Amino acid sequence: MKRRKLDPAEATANFAKGVDDRFQVATPLRALLNKVFPDHWSFLLGEIALFSFIVLLLSGVFLTLFFDPSMKEVAYHGAYPALRGTEMSAAYESSLRLSFEVRGGLFMRQMHHWAALLFMASIVVHMARVFFTGAFRKPREINWVIGVLLFLLGFFAGFTGYSLPDDGLSGTGLRIASAIMLSLPVIGTWLSASIFGGEYPGELIIGRFYIAHVLLIPGILLALISVHLGIVFKQKHTQWPGPLRTNENVVGERMFPRYAMKQGGFFMAVFGVIALMAGLFQINPIWLFGPYRAAEVSSASQPDWYVMFMDGLVRLMPNWQIYFGPYSLPPLFWPAVVGLGALFTLPMLYPWLEARKLNDTRSHHLLERPRDNPERVGIGMMALTFFVVATISGANDVIADKFHISLNAMTWAGRIGLLILPPLAYYFSVRICLGLQQHDREVLAHGVETGIIRRLPNGAFIEVHQPLGPIDDHGHPVPLEYAGWVVPKKMNKLGALAPTVKGFFFPVEKPAEAPVSPAPISTSGTREEISSKS
Amino acid sequence: MTSDTPARRRARVFSRRRGAPSRARRRVGAAVRMLAALALAGGVYTAFTPGAFAEDNTQLSTAAQQGKQLFDNSCISCHGREAQGVQDRGPSLIGVGSASVEFQVGTGRMPMARQEAQAEEKTPQFTPDETKQIAQYVQELGGGPQVPAGSLTENLKENPEALARGGELFRVNCTSCHSFTGAGGALSSGKFAPALHDVTAEHIYAAMLSGPQNMPVFGDNQLSPDEKREIITYITQQLQQDKDPGGIFNLGGYGPATEGLAIFLVGITILVFTSLWIAGKS
Amino acid sequence: MTTVHHGETGAPVDVHDPKLTRFDIVKEGLRRDDIEIVTYESQFPGPNSKAEKRIVRNIAFLFIIAGLFSLAFLVFYIVWPWKFELGHTLSDYFTPILGITLGIALFALGIGILAWAKKLLPHELSIQQRHGDPSSDEERLITGQTMMFVADELGVQRRPLLKGAIALGLAPIGLAAAAPLVGGLIENPHKGEEPMMYRTGFDPVANGGKPVRLTRDDGSPIRPEDVSAGGQMTVYPGIPGGATNKYADSPTLLIHLRADDAEKTRTAADNDKNGRNKGSMWGNYVAYSKICTHAGCPASLYEQQTNRLLCPCHQSQFLITDNAQPVFGPATRRLPMLPLSVDDEGFFVATSDFKDTVGPDFWERP
Repeated sequence: MKRRKLDPAEATANFAKGVDDRFQVATPLRALLNKVFPDHWSFLLGEIALFSFIVLLLSGVFLTLFFDPSMKEVAYHGAYPALRGTEMSAAYESSLRLSFEVRGGLFMRQMHHWAALLFMASIVVHMARVFFTGAFRKPREINWVIGVLLFLLGFFAGFTGYSLPDDGLSGTGLRIASAIMLSLPVIGTWLSASIFGGEYPGELIIGRFYIAHVLLIPGILLALISVHLGIVFKQKHTQWPGPLRTNENVVGERMFPRYAMKQGGFFMAVFGVIALMAGLFQINPIWLFGPYRAAEVSSASQPDWYVMFMDGLVRLMPNWQIYFGPYSLPPLFWPAVVGLGALFTLPMLYPWLEARKLNDTRSHHLLERPRDNPERVGIGMMALTFFVVATISGANDVIADKFHISLNAMTWAGRIGLLILPPLAYYFSVRICLGLQQHDREVLAHGVETGIIRRLPNGAFIEVHQPLGPIDDHGHPVPLEYAGWVVPKKMNKLGALAPTVKGFFFPVEKPAEAPVSPAPISTSGTREEISSKS
Repeated sequence: MTSDTPARRRARVFSRRRGAPSRARRRVGAAVRMLAALALAGGVYTAFTPGAFAEDNTQLSTAAQQGKQLFDNSCISCHGREAQGVQDRGPSLIGVGSASVEFQVGTGRMPMARQEAQAEEKTPQFTPDETKQIAQYVQELGGGPQVPAGSLTENLKENPEALARGGELFRVNCTSCHSFTGAGGALSSGKFAPALHDVTAEHIYAAMLSGPQNMPVFGDNQLSPDEKREIITYITQQLQQDKDPGGIFNLGGYGPATEGLAIFLVGITILVFTSLWIAGKS
Repeated sequence: MTTVHHGETGAPVDVHDPKLTRFDIVKEGLRRDDIEIVTYESQFPGPNSKAEKRIVRNIAFLFIIAGLFSLAFLVFYIVWPWKFELGHTLSDYFTPILGITLGIALFALGIGILAWAKKLLPHELSIQQRHGDPSSDEERLITGQTMMFVADELGVQRRPLLKGAIALGLAPIGLAAAAPLVGGLIENPHKGEEPMMYRTGFDPVANGGKPVRLTRDDGSPIRPEDVSAGGQMTVYPGIPGGATNKYADSPTLLIHLRADDAEKTRTAADNDKNGRNKGSMWGNYVAYSKICTHAGCPASLYEQQTNRLLCPCHQSQFLITDNAQPVFGPATRRLPMLPLSVDDEGFFVATSDFKDTVGPDFWERP
């Protein structure tokens, strides 16, 4: 009940009573207000995607008010002089009108596009977090699958949106899409003819993509996002291991007010960043691309970044065509159809594959530090490296041009890199994980390095270690059990030295006026504890 | 291009190299050792034997005589006496016209510094006057296309449609290599189409006429002088003036590649730092 | 499962007890939701501490910034000239100004709210029990039996005729519902005597049986001297709408080769394995389809010295002097050659359509 005086309080109380009489909300509402969420920065990455999706919906609705999804040929007579008199489709004309003759229209268009890029980028970053911490394990496999589907849907939402303005660049993309459909064995020509309503490009595709882009795909996206969040809510968020934290509880803060405020504030921050980028960085200047003409093309034609991995794989594919008598399977089929399919189905299956391999049927609500599962980190890094090499290859002509590298060399570097770098990434990340594990165990067994060197009677030098736990009768530390959580590795983490100053732009040590003495070792008891050990 | 030196270094690593290092690179007046991989337009004529070697400068104009002096100092080692060409070094320049010289020498591409996939733009070694003199000499030797005098751009006040027509022609003829934004693009095996952002109208015109390096020739029958002027108008008025109503930064006009980079370097970075701050202990 | 949950340890309290503070009542709610507040303490040493005041001031400042920039956004949105004009004008800065003002306003508001939550609210550590246990065996059994009972009630098992009738009845209904959704979309790519996908606008059939002229995009025909040696030109079929996207497979690259390159090209074309390119050149001119055989982009980056055509989409490279065979990249098939000639008036014509199928590869390509 809100703190109000006089009548308003009573009125509110009466209103609340009335609502509860009808919907019985008091108990569930209290449970909602009280629900506890764990707090960690990496748990906010998925929210970036959620918030940019909201921005996408808002700006997208605005754009539909001006966009005309028609391929009818019209002559342009708008505000942009360099296209006046040019024949173009109504879709392109209305995109130009939206950009130049609607107050703030260009800003909204750029917000929409940047929000789309941010949506996809944050999905990838969020997926990486979920993967490397093992948050996809039972009971959350289904939510992981939904997440992969969300990326796939975002991929198609992005591609259809990229095609809508019907400019020179998006037409090139459409042409490639039609070629990918054609590359399917047996049904290729039928599929392409059915989707384009006859021969490419026809006059229907923009209208069809439009309804997919503004209704079908966002509808499914919205439904899946709701289910995604509902499952998170029902299953409660995972948390890192740590003091008080068990597999059966959630340690954090209540949803209201603190957690909800953080969400609201972060939404505003995401919105603000999108608005800033939309104002500062020009994106997709369609007026320079001209209307789509089948004969016109630009060097450095690439798709948006989240499609670039596919384009990169297509670029790297050797020209292997397979013939079956009079029929043939073009090389485009492998990277574009099989590659895309594999890149989505393999991650979807991964939770069950891992559980099967580890024979693991328990429910996990505590996250795993990446180092504690080197195999998974290796596989994840392998996949990520593959994705990054493919994505870079999707822009290999830009890189070749701007860094003065031979284009053919870039292609070969990509081909070789695609085969060699992922296994290397696997090997190195597994080794790094094992090394980190070993270091953790070492500190637990022997203590933290103090930086104090001691000379033994026989003349040897040793470094004094500060044990983290009790010591036995001989003064040796009793080895501690690893708890799956951060092991302190520096003396200041133990409070024996001045604490590091938090913040990005400050020196590591606090300035001189800091209340903690910069040289506590000589006076505090810690020093004695250090020297008592040998 | 801001980072020219490392870029060139890389280019050196990746392009096949033959021949000597380039010690005489900046020495004006010295006989520049150069090896031309690419034959200039008019390579056909190398087959013909030169008619006479007589020191017959009487027909040459004064400017051409001065141009001949410069040519004999800097160009003769590859392009030969009287620009007849030297086998495997440099093509004959008979018939390439002054347009070619004005482009190649005026943009510093010639004299070439060293063997590479393609002659790169450098600080010109000759002053504009000297360039004109060499151009005059080559013109008087064998004729060929010339950049016309007078304005090379259209006046948009009198002829406002020129911009749109130029854009249309630009997209049909030029964007496939130089890209929609004029940012340039890669060609096969280390060759490239340069960016158009700081090219002068004269050099664009000369390039269209002469087809330098791997650029196709756009003769006056194909693109009339008016059409060339329209294209130049579009390049200078629309592309070079950075008319970017969509933001302070145009991300180089390289398309979605740099946009994708920006979303990670700017968007994701700011927001990850924000979330680090949100969840950090206060 | 552990036997004792934190939240269950506390005894219930009478919420009507007037001595209870509001926080006590909140704690009772938390107890009922199985939540325990472990720490709940102010971040400040006391009420109205200096630090608190400073943070309140900062947050207020952020909110005021947000308000000011929102106002600025509104003002600029209304008064700033925004219509596109050629040359450097104030309108160039309209979008950046909108972005900067709105971005700063929203970001400042966000940071203000976040700072409020992070710095001003009491530091809190709560523990909620997860209760992620599955339903008990008993519950599962009851639900399972209920579902089985529903099946019993329907009695499909006992009535085999119904079982069959359902199968026979439902499948056609499903198909009937799906058919109009999908059926309307299906197009036969092979319809017609000569399907469009196998021919282009250069097919004389589209021109009343006469050879089709090569034209520029404005429809004007082309004479040989229009293309200089070492030059290229994008040409379209000289039929109505020939340069539009209706004939998206027709754009062709007409190239005027230098004499020695032309000789090489002619030799290669005349020795063509399947003979299709034999005699297709006219003089030193050759015309190749511009549509890449890989993914359909215009493969139009013509390198006049190396005689390569490069496709800007996936970097396939075709050698002009060798029947436009692919020499690098993912393309497998050469670019089709258009058989050239010159008509009585001295304009280029195509003596026939492309002899290879134009455009990206597909399963049943002849």
